[in-house]
Amino acid sequence: MSTQVILGLFVGGLFGAALAIAALADPDKIIGTLRLKDLHAMRTIAVFVLVGMFGVWVLEAAGAAHLSIKPATVVSVLIGGALLGIGFGMTGYCPGTGLACAAGGRIDALVTVIGMFAGALAYILIYPQVAVPIERIADYGSVTLPEITKVSRAAWTIPIVVVGALVLLVTRPKPAK
Amino acid sequence: MNLREVNMTELIVQKEPLPWWAAGLLLGLVQILAVALEGPLGVSTQFVVADAKVIKEVAPEYTAEHPLISNEKYQKFGYGWWLDVGLVAGAALAALALGRWKLRATTVWWRRNHNSKVFTRLIAAFVGGFFILLGARFAHGCTSGQFASGWSQLSLSVVPFTITLFGFGMLTARLVYPKSPEIEK
Repeated sequence: MSTQVILGLFVGGLFGAALAIAALADPDKIIGTLRLKDLHAMRTIAVFVLVGMFGVWVLEAAGAAHLSIKPATVVSVLIGGALLGIGFGMTGYCPGTGLACAAGGRIDALVTVIGMFAGALAYILIYPQVAVPIERIADYGSVTLPEITKVSRAAWTIPIVVVGALVLLVTRPKPAK
Repeated sequence: MNLREVNMTELIVQKEPLPWWAAGLLLGLVQILAVALEGPLGVSTQFVVADAKVIKEVAPEYTAEHPLISNEKYQKFGYGWWLDVGLVAGAALAALALGRWKLRATTVWWRRNHNSKVFTRLIAAFVGGFFILLGARFAHGCTSGQFASGWSQLSLSVVPFTITLFGFGMLTARLVYPKSPEIEK
């Protein structure tokens, strides 16, 4: 087996297990968060992002990060976020948690995964005529916030991580009696 | 169906196995590991890869001329593909280990708002899945590859994505699930 296969299975295995243990692979927790009735998933996602941001900064400073920056094709990204948001709000699934929930015995998640294959097919079919022209509008390229603002990654990371951690600490839920 | 026959886990949103800070820390560490080893987490690209493989069998000429799927990235099973395969295996094993692996076709929130109609849940699941992947490709990534990995790397693209993802997500959830079920604390 190639290194790619082993690394993929290793990282993916940990990610799938973490999604299940973190209860993000639970559509009821996701809908609870989108309805602002159950903030566990929102707080978990916030910690996930802050820890990742801190770690990526340290790795990049050490010259050990393998980054993959997505192109900022603003109009295409806004449309994509809206469509994905509609599906997310309907089902409580996204691509990763949909796969994880199907693996956890959820038949409806399996149907969502089938729907996702159909969505990918639709994208392939409309790509040349629809997606390509939209991607050309307001395309800023694969840039980062530190690059576009001409400040260091540290100047973005440290304030966001510190403020985020303080907000999470101050608003932490009281332990159940 | 007699209500007494319904398992309580189908009527009350079950409590999470880990507190939020530990759950988030775990996911964040997986992200750091991914970036250190090969590349950030991402899931949705592989749905296009799988479809592209099938289309190539059915219509090789169409594939060769297609500006997207003729790209080598969409014609090979690499790190991203095996990450998704690992994700499915890891999630199944973790659900079994937690004692939460269970065959079911609907959710607590769906039951609360749309009774126990499984068929409508499955229709919504399919349509939702279609929008999810179509949107993820327009955005060049999903909640993993664009949102979580985007914020971790501080990409510019994550800012517009976050606004519409959560804006439309919250609006849609409000329309589809107006009534809140009981949530175990």
